[in-house]
Amino acid sequence: MDRDEHAPFRENIPAYALGALDAADVTALESHLRTCESCRNELAEYRALGDILLMATPPAAPPAALRKRLQAQLPSAQKAARPRWTWNFGQLALGLAMLALLALNLFTFSQLRLVQRQQARLSTEVEDAQVALMMLSSPSTQTVFIQGTSASGAILLDKGQNEAVMIVEGLPPLPSDQIYQIWLILPDGSRVSGGLFRPQTKDSYTTKAIASGQTISGYIGIGVTVEPAGGSDHPTGERMFKVDF
Amino acid sequence: MVNPDDTELVQRVAQGDERAFLALYDRYASRVHGLTLRILGDAMLAEEATQDTFVKLWSRARLFMAERGSLLFWLLTIARRTALDRLRLEARRPAQPDSTDPEDIWQVLPDSSSLPEEARWRSMHFAVQSLQQDQRAVVELAFYQGMSQSEIADVLGWPLGTVKTRMRAAMEQLKQKWNNE
Repeated sequence: MDRDEHAPFRENIPAYALGALDAADVTALESHLRTCESCRNELAEYRALGDILLMATPPAAPPAALRKRLQAQLPSAQKAARPRWTWNFGQLALGLAMLALLALNLFTFSQLRLVQRQQARLSTEVEDAQVALMMLSSPSTQTVFIQGTSASGAILLDKGQNEAVMIVEGLPPLPSDQIYQIWLILPDGSRVSGGLFRPQTKDSYTTKAIASGQTISGYIGIGVTVEPAGGSDHPTGERMFKVDF
Repeated sequence: MVNPDDTELVQRVAQGDERAFLALYDRYASRVHGLTLRILGDAMLAEEATQDTFVKLWSRARLFMAERGSLLFWLLTIARRTALDRLRLEARRPAQPDSTDPEDIWQVLPDSSSLPEEARWRSMHFAVQSLQQDQRAVVELAFYQGMSQSEIADVLGWPLGTVKTRMRAAMEQLKQKWNNE
């Protein structure tokens, strides 16, 4: 092949090396490369140049949070985040009754202050907080404490009503493609979704009203898992905590 | 020169060693993130592309072969492809046939004995910056935006032949600059 016949192929080699050759020209060039050593050698030089361009970009430190997110995805972090369910609610409730009452008083006071701040926010958050206030003031409200690996707080429930309120802290923020989902647990072990939420970042507690299609007395527990954005039909992700009542 | 420590670390990553993985992250995150930021021009997207690159390192570590080239080149090739895929997704542009598949690139990586010190890479950066504006534009659109020559011609309003000529001229200059270092 003389130089004139090489020319149209050689003209395309730099673009091919950078991945910029139009698709219509790629097949012809690749066919030529299979039979032309000099063009293959030239391609190798330009590809090496492309690799050098990779290195010729100034470094830029990523945010520290990125390292933590990667670390949280590693197997050891996933394993450590699973809660250990050795807590017998009945035994702890008897032994810690006085302490629980004291904690509730302090908790209620801090929550009242939190609710006052939340009234300046979005309507859903205001509604949830109002439900929490209402339940806190009701004599039939029961409190079930949350004790997860990272999460803590309480669930306020009135078994005669079809609504409960979760007040929780310590849940880590999630990427935009994930969300926390609440599950109401039926006596046969099946789960019904109680809603989706993201932890509030500005205040220490997240308050979330949990609505159900029947009175709370029809359930035996509530749990929270990490799910894909938009939620799931059943729990698929990491369980953050579960309470029985 | 291939860093023997890199080789040991990536072998340990392939066996599930999380400390080795984080050591490689600490060593190369800035280089990877600099490239993704350069390509995507958006802090959040660049951060996601950097994260995806290291997730791929974790899952593909067993595919790395030290005798074929440096880990940093491998990582940066993955990062470029990841960032360009995201760029195309955001801009809804079709993918380009890419001859720079990380798994196929080994045969064309620079000879390890000729790998330069850090100063040479910086001088290459300045060499790109010192290209004539027209030449620099085609190189940056091709390499950092993943555009085809036709797309570059459309964006810049140039004839396709002009784009080809300027791309070749730019690459010739960079090649001469590199060989003279």
